[in-house]
Amino acid sequence: MSALTQSTPGAAQSDAASEKELRPPSYWPFVVPALVVVIAIIIFPWVFTIWMSLNEWKVGSSTTFVGLSNYLRLTSDPRFIEAIGHTLVYTILSVLLPLVLGTFAAVVFHQKFPGRGFLRGVFIMPMMATPVAIALVWTMMFHPQLGVLNYLLSLVGIPAQLWVFHPATVIPSLVLVETWQWTPLVMLIVLGGLAAIPSEPYESAQIDGASIWQVFRFITLPLIMPFLFIAGMIRMIDAVKSFDIIFAITQGGPGSASETINIYLYSVAFSYYDLGYGSAIAVVFFLLIVLLAAVMLYARQRMLWTEIASGT
Amino acid sequence: MVNHKISRRTLLTGTAAAGALSLTGLPARAEVNWKKYAGTKLEVILAKGPRGDNLQKYVKEFTELTGIQVESEQIPEQQQRQKVVIELTSGRPSFDVVHLSYHVQKRQFEKAGWLADLTPFMKDPALTAPDLVESDFSAAGLQYARNDKGQMLSLPWSVDYFILYYNKELFEKKGVAVPKTLDEMAAAAEKLTDAKEGTFGFVGRGLRNANMAMWSNFFLNYGGEFLDAKGNILTDGPEAIAATKLYQTLLTKSAPPGVAGFNWMESMASFTQGRSAMWIDGVGWAPPLEDPAASRVVGKVGYTVVPAGPKGQYSSTYGDGIGVAAASKNKEAAYLLCQWVVSKTQGARLLQAGGGVPFRNSILGDPEVQKGVKTKEWLQSVIDSGKISKLGLPVVIPVAEFRDIVGAAVTATLSGADPAAELKKANDQYRPILERSEKA
Amino acid sequence: MTPRQIIGKIGLWFSVFVIVSPAILFFLWMLSLSLKFEIDNAAYPPVFFPEHIAWKNYADVLASNRFLTYFINSLIVTGSATLLALLVGVPAGYGIARMAAHKSAIVILIARITPGLSYLIPLFLMFQWLGLLGTLVPQIIIHLVVTVPIVIWIMIGYFETTPMELEEAALIDGATRWQVFRHVALPIAKPGIAVAFILAVIFSWNNFVFGIVLAGRETRTLPVAVYNMISFDQLSWGPLAAAALIVTLPVLLLTVFAQRQIVAGLTAGAVKGG
Repeated sequence: MSALTQSTPGAAQSDAASEKELRPPSYWPFVVPALVVVIAIIIFPWVFTIWMSLNEWKVGSSTTFVGLSNYLRLTSDPRFIEAIGHTLVYTILSVLLPLVLGTFAAVVFHQKFPGRGFLRGVFIMPMMATPVAIALVWTMMFHPQLGVLNYLLSLVGIPAQLWVFHPATVIPSLVLVETWQWTPLVMLIVLGGLAAIPSEPYESAQIDGASIWQVFRFITLPLIMPFLFIAGMIRMIDAVKSFDIIFAITQGGPGSASETINIYLYSVAFSYYDLGYGSAIAVVFFLLIVLLAAVMLYARQRMLWTEIASGT
Repeated sequence: MVNHKISRRTLLTGTAAAGALSLTGLPARAEVNWKKYAGTKLEVILAKGPRGDNLQKYVKEFTELTGIQVESEQIPEQQQRQKVVIELTSGRPSFDVVHLSYHVQKRQFEKAGWLADLTPFMKDPALTAPDLVESDFSAAGLQYARNDKGQMLSLPWSVDYFILYYNKELFEKKGVAVPKTLDEMAAAAEKLTDAKEGTFGFVGRGLRNANMAMWSNFFLNYGGEFLDAKGNILTDGPEAIAATKLYQTLLTKSAPPGVAGFNWMESMASFTQGRSAMWIDGVGWAPPLEDPAASRVVGKVGYTVVPAGPKGQYSSTYGDGIGVAAASKNKEAAYLLCQWVVSKTQGARLLQAGGGVPFRNSILGDPEVQKGVKTKEWLQSVIDSGKISKLGLPVVIPVAEFRDIVGAAVTATLSGADPAAELKKANDQYRPILERSEKA
Repeated sequence: MTPRQIIGKIGLWFSVFVIVSPAILFFLWMLSLSLKFEIDNAAYPPVFFPEHIAWKNYADVLASNRFLTYFINSLIVTGSATLLALLVGVPAGYGIARMAAHKSAIVILIARITPGLSYLIPLFLMFQWLGLLGTLVPQIIIHLVVTVPIVIWIMIGYFETTPMELEEAALIDGATRWQVFRHVALPIAKPGIAVAFILAVIFSWNNFVFGIVLAGRETRTLPVAVYNMISFDQLSWGPLAAAALIVTLPVLLLTVFAQRQIVAGLTAGAVKGG
C-alpha cells in the first residue's frame, strides 16, 4: 500500500512532465486577464491596509507610525480573542450543516419526480433573496413573545425558546439562518457533480444488489468529492466572513455573545473609526482564513493521493 | 408700527412663502437678505427619521423663500454616521449641510474640525433673523452646539428626553399607582408582571449599546457622574453598581424573556401589543403608540417623567443638530438652510407631529404651538423633562466604544453576572481607549 | 410496482417535503407579513390570513421616489460585473483546470478571502482620487471582487470534470488552444457557465455593504436603497417584507428562467454524452 502511495504520484508527475514537453505551456493567456483584474482591484487596498495597520490612525486625527503596536494590542484585547472563538464555532457549524444537508438535497433532487424543476427552484430561493431583508424577517420570527417560531413550537408542545435573545442559543440560531440560506448553494454544486457521474457504476451496483446507502457511500460520495471540496471551501470562506445576517439580527449581541471577528472589525473601523487598529484586525483575520483554507487544501491533497493510491 | 414690524420679522424667519412675499421692497439693511444666495445648490445628508421627514416635506418653502435649491437624502442613522465620517475624512464631502447626533459625534466633529463656525453668521443681521439668538436654545442645546471656545459649530435641532410610558389599562387592572421613585417603579413592575398571561411590568432596550441610554438615566438618578474633573471615567462606582442592580432586577424579574436582545423594535412591539406595562425611552414614540394601524394601546398610554432616584430626578438627554461642513463652498447659503430648519415654523411642525422637540424655548413655550399638539399629557411630560434634563452620555470622543463595552457588561448581568465585577472589568477595558483618544 | 419501490417513492416524497418546506414556509410567511398592517404583524398568536390586506405596503415601496433609478442602477452594476466576470473568469477557470495550476487559483482566491470591509476605505479614497465617485463605475469594479472569484471557482470545478479526449483530438487535428476552447470546451461547459452566471448575479445583486459607502443618491443600487428604507426605530415589517420581495423578484425570475438551462445541462448528459 505504502509502495503504491509513493510510486503512483511519481508516475503521474512524469506524465505531466512529458505532456509539458510535448506542448508549450500556452494555457497562461487564458488566466492572465483574470489575474490582472484581480490583482488590480486587490493590490491597492492591500498595500493600503498593511501600511495603515502599522499606523495609529483614528479618523479626525493625524496618523503616526507605530510599528507593530496595533498587532501587539490585538494579543491583549479580550474582545478580539473572544471573537475568534465565536467565529470558529460559527464557521464550523455553518460549513458542516449545509454540506450534509446540501448533499442530501442534491441526491434527492438528482432523482426524477414530477415537479422537480419547480421544487428545486423553490429550494434555491433562500440563497437568492437579499440577506439583509431575510435576516430582518428572521428577527421577527425569532421574537420570543410574538415570533412565529415559538408559536410553531408551542403547537407541538415544545416550550418557548429565546433564540437569538439569549447568549447560549444565539450562535446556533444564527447558524440555523445561515444553513437555511446556504444549503442550496452546496446542493447546486453537488448536483453539478452528480450530473457528471457516468451511469455505468450505478448499473453494475444495481446488478450487484447494493443498498441505497452503499451506492451513495462507495460510488457517489467519492465521485462528488471534488465538488464537495469546492462547496466546503466556498462555504468556509463565506461563513467566516458572514456579516449581513449576524449584523442585521443581533449586531453581535446579546452582550457580545455573537460578536465574530468580522463584526468586531466593523465596529472598530466604522463605529470607532480606529482605522489603524481595524487594518491590523483585517490583516490577522485574512491570515486566519488563509490558514483555514490551507488546512482544507492540505486535507484534500491527502485525500487525492489516497485515491490515486487506491487505484481509482 | 413697531409691533407690526416685529411680528412680521418673526413671520419671515419661518413662514417661507409669506416671508418671501412681504420681503420684496423692504430695505436690505438690518434685514435678512434671503435672496442673496438664490441659485445656489445645496446638498444635505440626513439621518433617517421624523426630523429628516420634516425637512424634506417642507423644503420647497425654503426654496421659495431663498431661491436656493436643496437636494437632500435620508439614510439610516448608523450608515449616515459612517458615510458622513468617511466623506469628511476624505476632505471633499459631497454635502454642504450635515445632520449630526450630538451625543455620539460632538467631540469627534469638534476635534477633527469638520464643522464651520456659525458664530459670525449668527451675529450678522443680514444673515440671521433677529429672533434667532443663542439664549433661546436650552442649556443642553448650547452645551452640545458650542465648543470650548464658545463657538457655535451647529444649530441645535431636536432634543430627546427620556420619559416613562405606561399602560393605563394594565395599571388599573392591577390597582397600581404610577411610580414616583425608582424603588416604587421596581415594585410596581413586579406587581404588574403576570408571566402566565404573558404580560410584564417593564420593557426597555436590553441590547448592548442601545441599553446605555436607559441605564444612564438610572445612573444619573443614583447620583452618578460620567467623568471626574480630570476626565477619568467613573462608571464602576457605587452609583453605577446601584443603577446596574436596578437594571438587572427590572429586566430579569419583570421584563419579557429575551429582553437582553431587545432594541427599539422589540420593545415597542411588546408595548404596543399591550404586553408590557411600562417603558422608558426617548420622547419620540408617541406617534406610533397612538397610531391605530400599529398599536393596540391607542388612548391608553400614560406619559410622565422618569421616576426619581435617591440622589435626584433627571431625564437623560440626547440630541440632534444641523451644521455646515467646513469644506463646503456655500457656507452662507448652507447656514440659511440650518436657520430655516430650526425656525419657529419648522420647530412647531416637528413638535406637533410628535417627531421631536425643538431646543428653542420660544417654540416649546409658545401657547399657540402647544395648542397644536394632540397628546397633551405627552407634551406635559416633555416640558417637565426639559426642567430636569441632563446629558445621558459622557461627552468624549470614543462614545461608541463606551456604549459597546459598558453596555455589554450591563447586558451580561442579565444572565447572572455580578454587576460590580462586570462594571470593573468594563472600566478597565475602556480606560485605556479613552486615554488613547483624548491624549492624541 | 414492488413494495420496495413504493417505500422508495414515499421516502422520496417525504424527503422532498422535508427539504423544501422550510423555504416555502418562510416565503409564505414573508408574503403574509408584506400584506398585513402592523397591528396584525405584531399580533400573537400570529395572524396568518389578515382580515384587511395592506396593498399599500407595496404601493408605498413602488411609489417611493427614484425606485426606477435604483432598479436600473442595480441592473447595470450587477449586469456589468457579472458579464465582465464571465469574460475573464471562464477562460481563467479553463486555463487553471487544464494546467492543474492550483497555485494561481489561490492567488485569485485571495480576493475572495479578503474581508469585504477592508476594501471599502482604500477604494473609496482611490475612486475619489480618480474622480469616479458619483458614477456607477466604482461599484461595478468593486463588485468584480465578488463575481470574478466565484466564476473562476465554479469553472475550474466544471472543466476538471469535462473529458479531455475531444480536446486532445482537436489539438492533434491542428486546432489552436483558443479554437479548442472556443469550439470544443465552451459548448460543453454551458451548464457550468449558467451556474457561475447565476451565482455571480446573486452575490452581486444582494451585496449592499459596498454600496453604503460607494453609492450616492443617484448611484444607489436597489438592495442598498431598500435597506435604507428599513428604519430600526419603526415597526414597519409590512413595507419591509414588501420591499424585500420586490428586490428579490428579479433574481427569482432569473432563476426560473435559467433553471431550465441548468436542469438540462445537469441532467441531459451533455457531459458524459459529449
